[in-house]
Amino acid sequence: MNKRERVLRTLELREPDRVPITEFGIEVPLMEAITGKKAPTSTSEQTQVTADRELEKGRIGFKVECYQKLDFDAIVIDLSAPEDWIPRKNPNGTMVDLWGRVLMLDQRSRAWVPYSTVFQAPEDFDRFELPNPHDPGWAFATEYARREAGEEVAVATFIRDPFAHVWEMFTPLNFVRWMYQKPQLIRRAIEEVAKFNIEIIKSVAEAGADFIISGGDYCEEKGPMVPLRFFDEVIFPNLRMQVDAARGRGVKLIKHTDGNVNPILKGLAAIVDGLHSLDPTAGVDIGEVKEHYGDRLILIGNVAVDNLAKNSREEIVEETKGCIRKASPGGGHILSSSNTWASGAKLENCLAMVETGRKYGTYPIRV
Amino acid sequence: MSTLKDLILGMADVDNVKRHVSDALRSGEEPSKVIDVLNDALEEVGRRYESGEYFLSELMMAGILATEATKILDAHMAGGKRSKIAKVVMGTVKGDIHDIGKNIVVMMLRAADFEVLDLGVDVPPEKFVETIRNEGAQIVGMSALLTSTVDQMKIVIDAFTKQGVRGKVKVIVGGRPVTEEFAREIGADGYAEDAVEAIKVVRDFVQLGGARLE
Repeated sequence: MNKRERVLRTLELREPDRVPITEFGIEVPLMEAITGKKAPTSTSEQTQVTADRELEKGRIGFKVECYQKLDFDAIVIDLSAPEDWIPRKNPNGTMVDLWGRVLMLDQRSRAWVPYSTVFQAPEDFDRFELPNPHDPGWAFATEYARREAGEEVAVATFIRDPFAHVWEMFTPLNFVRWMYQKPQLIRRAIEEVAKFNIEIIKSVAEAGADFIISGGDYCEEKGPMVPLRFFDEVIFPNLRMQVDAARGRGVKLIKHTDGNVNPILKGLAAIVDGLHSLDPTAGVDIGEVKEHYGDRLILIGNVAVDNLAKNSREEIVEETKGCIRKASPGGGHILSSSNTWASGAKLENCLAMVETGRKYGTYPIRV
Repeated sequence: MSTLKDLILGMADVDNVKRHVSDALRSGEEPSKVIDVLNDALEEVGRRYESGEYFLSELMMAGILATEATKILDAHMAGGKRSKIAKVVMGTVKGDIHDIGKNIVVMMLRAADFEVLDLGVDVPPEKFVETIRNEGAQIVGMSALLTSTVDQMKIVIDAFTKQGVRGKVKVIVGGRPVTEEFAREIGADGYAEDAVEAIKVVRDFVQLGGARLE
């Protein structure tokens, strides 16, 4: 069974030969430590920062090489910018992305991080020209990753969830203010991004993606960031349309969110194909999720990302074994951390997670 | 004034809240009474958030409304600058450019009638020291999202000691990787796991003059 077959069987909620392993992201300093090479360019986990195809090839090739070194079963790649886009750089070193987010370069991780916004008033959204999903080039990263990685490894494409996207586009304070004062604006913005995503899902599925990951948090440590009725009225209907679009192209959609998802688990399980990150530090027990929703949800996780930074190797081994014990039997589980390998994580611990996954993840699970 | 509390708890229109405060002041209501109502409302919102009845967006919106109300109070005191409860310096530590949590705390502190000097993100220790000296702040709040930057908090506190300003300020720390144990280890005076707790700790600093860490 090759890596892609292993992942695809897992996505069908069946047991493959062993538990597949991957990460949704690895920060640049760790990728450099893993590959022994310098990253060709800065990047962003949230958005597109360049349309230069040579830089894109370098960025994607570097990531593919890193994932191959780790022998991961799935390569997770994001969207490229459309071909003719020119990033707007500001004199203070910030950059404005395609979505009106002002990005600042984090020197430590060499990643561009949303910091501010061009949307200062609700009317600014009416004047803003949203990106066109039919512009050529969005799926370049997926196509190139597939070409570089070959046919025997799974490729997943990471898109941004409309709620999280608009939350970042407007900044959290503007989002909340307008959510209560201009609810139609927030609803419209989320619908626009969902429509964009539906077209993008079709493109990346055609370009070779085996599954789609919709990234962006719905929850914080205490629970959902917005009232449950907002999920029912706005977030979930738009999520469902994206899931339908993915299924229509024969691919599954996995929802990533940090935080305590317990209050919205039932709603999510009725819509999406799978969940990541099942955040253990926010009180999510992957065993309980498996027990209640294991017959319909693919589970991806959930070695705590904070523990990768502060715990000992032995503790990570035990945590990983526990994760496999609770989530892997019966299939439908992909082992990963509860977020990404951030540069604060100890590489030794990250590798211990992978080694433990290989050692104890062979079916039938006996750990 | 009970209606002002109801407006905030009900996530009312901003203009409605502002109009309500203006009308109350015009009809002779003491600004201190308005402040009391705002604090009462925020405490209730905090209770509801902690119990899971309210969500983050409601906590934030209540803070936005209370902040707008305090701006009306400031404008009303046209004769001079209205004195605030205390002056707080806030910043995300050097090497860290994440600010969502810090911004929520800044907004909630302002809503609770504190004067806040927001230094932004990636703030070096010397900037914290300089601001304490120049502005006479009584409280410093530091935030970090990343495990890799959280140790900067100790560097800042050590800089306060070295530069002779440690005794002038109370220090509160928070952020995803920060724990109460960590706060104690680095010599902070207080720790908060969320914005609601941060307001309580800072209020205790002022009212009790002491630290909450045990």
